[in-house]
Amino acid sequence: MARMKFYVDAERCIECNGCVTACKNENNVPWGVNRRRVVTIKDGEVGERSLSVACMHCSDAPCAAVCPVDCFYTTDDGVVLHDKDICIGCGYCFIACPFGAPQFPESGAFSTRGKMDKCTFCAGGPVETGSAEEQRKYGANRLADGKLPICAEMCATKALLAGDANVLSDIYRKRVVNRGRSVLDWGVQYQNAGLRKSSGLSGQATSSD
Amino acid sequence: MVTRIKPNPALSVITLGLVIGVLLLLHPLPAEAESSESASQIPVPNPGTQLWRDVRNRTVTTPEPEPRKVPPQVLVKDLWQQIQGGESDITGRTQSQGVDAGVLINTRGEQWRNFRMRTLVPYTGYLLGGVLVIIVLFYVLRGRIVISGGRSGIKVPRFNVSQRTVHWVVATTFVLLAVTGIILLLGRLTLKPFLGGETFSSVAIATKTIHDFVGPVFGVALVAQFFLFVRGNLPSFKVDLAWLLKGGGMFGGHASSYCYNAGEKMWFWLAMLGGLLVVVTGLVLDFPIFGQDRGMMAFSHVVHTISAVIILAVALGHIYMGTIAVEGAFEGMATGYCDANWAKEHHDLWYDKVKAGSEEKKPSSP
Repeated sequence: MARMKFYVDAERCIECNGCVTACKNENNVPWGVNRRRVVTIKDGEVGERSLSVACMHCSDAPCAAVCPVDCFYTTDDGVVLHDKDICIGCGYCFIACPFGAPQFPESGAFSTRGKMDKCTFCAGGPVETGSAEEQRKYGANRLADGKLPICAEMCATKALLAGDANVLSDIYRKRVVNRGRSVLDWGVQYQNAGLRKSSGLSGQATSSD
Repeated sequence: MVTRIKPNPALSVITLGLVIGVLLLLHPLPAEAESSESASQIPVPNPGTQLWRDVRNRTVTTPEPEPRKVPPQVLVKDLWQQIQGGESDITGRTQSQGVDAGVLINTRGEQWRNFRMRTLVPYTGYLLGGVLVIIVLFYVLRGRIVISGGRSGIKVPRFNVSQRTVHWVVATTFVLLAVTGIILLLGRLTLKPFLGGETFSSVAIATKTIHDFVGPVFGVALVAQFFLFVRGNLPSFKVDLAWLLKGGGMFGGHASSYCYNAGEKMWFWLAMLGGLLVVVTGLVLDFPIFGQDRGMMAFSHVVHTISAVIILAVALGHIYMGTIAVEGAFEGMATGYCDANWAKEHHDLWYDKVKAGSEEKKPSSP
């Protein structure tokens, strides 16, 4: 059984935030918490790219490593989940995570943060599958029904993919090959393609100055 | 049904004649050819005439058009290499409202994780364990330091009520903070295997609550303690150096000292300066509502932990010294009075000053 992974295709993401909305809607996410967010780099400039970021379900999860109460666990599918009953709300996982996935519903004095909430790959939590308690605490458990996370299902351009790592790698490989072929006419390797070159515009995106 | 009209010859001729006449009249007559000499000048000047004359004569050149600004080629692979390389935190725009939600990858997190788990946690264990071992060894080898000459029964005032109160407030809060802090740092490794996940979680929630609320109290008390004890802890270099060179008299011999000896002064300044670091970073950690980002929290955590662990290591020594190690030491801070022989042995220069001014004695003067 292969690991579950997310893959974000920066060339396809159109920053529609559909993934963000779908996740919040499906998963009973506390107020102020965005399990998934879309980050746009070089916004408005040449080379603008957008990525959808949430928990990446790392193999060697930094959040799990630093937790003082060891409330994280990894499922057989490679999904990193945590137990809200054990979480003490110290915030260490948030400091350690490269992606800022763990988030907290409260922001109070004396370091009161409430229980940590993060992307669960729509795989629920360590309580009875499909129970009301699971829905309330951790959100939907789509994986148990054989479905994939709602963010990837909702993605308008299939920029965000989620699922079995082998399947994802295959799709990624096909995309790279196809894109590489598509720029052959323009005489440039895909990895060196900044702007889409086309004859007559001398490498510009538009004909205006 | 077509009605036949009888052709009228006269009408036909007249019609035909009219048609031909109209056509002839409307036909464009050939224009009279105009020669340039005989044609009259058109009074409206043609603005292009002079221009084209100049161009033909090469007296006017049109300026070179400005070179079109080609945007620099952005190599996408460089962008991703930057992000993966982790040298800079690439920031972008996002709808999410967190303080550093725009940061795509937070590289400080991994640095902090590695430092905490691989350095802070194990070395704290080694340091504190080592200090405990040294203290036990010292007691076993040196034993309790008794008052040579026995107690005199004469009481000398040493600490006034404010000093004692503040000291014990600081001491109590310090112990609470130290115990809870060590549980937060080392509990997962040492306590959790014994208690199990859920029990340890309850302990940890209480631990974190105590640590977060007692922290600021400790901070206030520490500031008060600074002002109450600083006068006696100002260095007297000759006396302090001599005391240090004699090893404080701990292994035999006698070392002179004013109110506080060099060892106590070093502890005072370590506790105050280290304590300042601990309190300031503790406040940063305790009130994450002022826009601290993850890098700030990680840095504060590291400074907080290192300072606190060092202070704790020396505090263990201080507690040992103040309780078991030396006969007659504890009662000074407990009751406010110490024995005269104890004072002569450990703080003789202070004792002389106290005796000299004992008629109009102000208990708070060192």
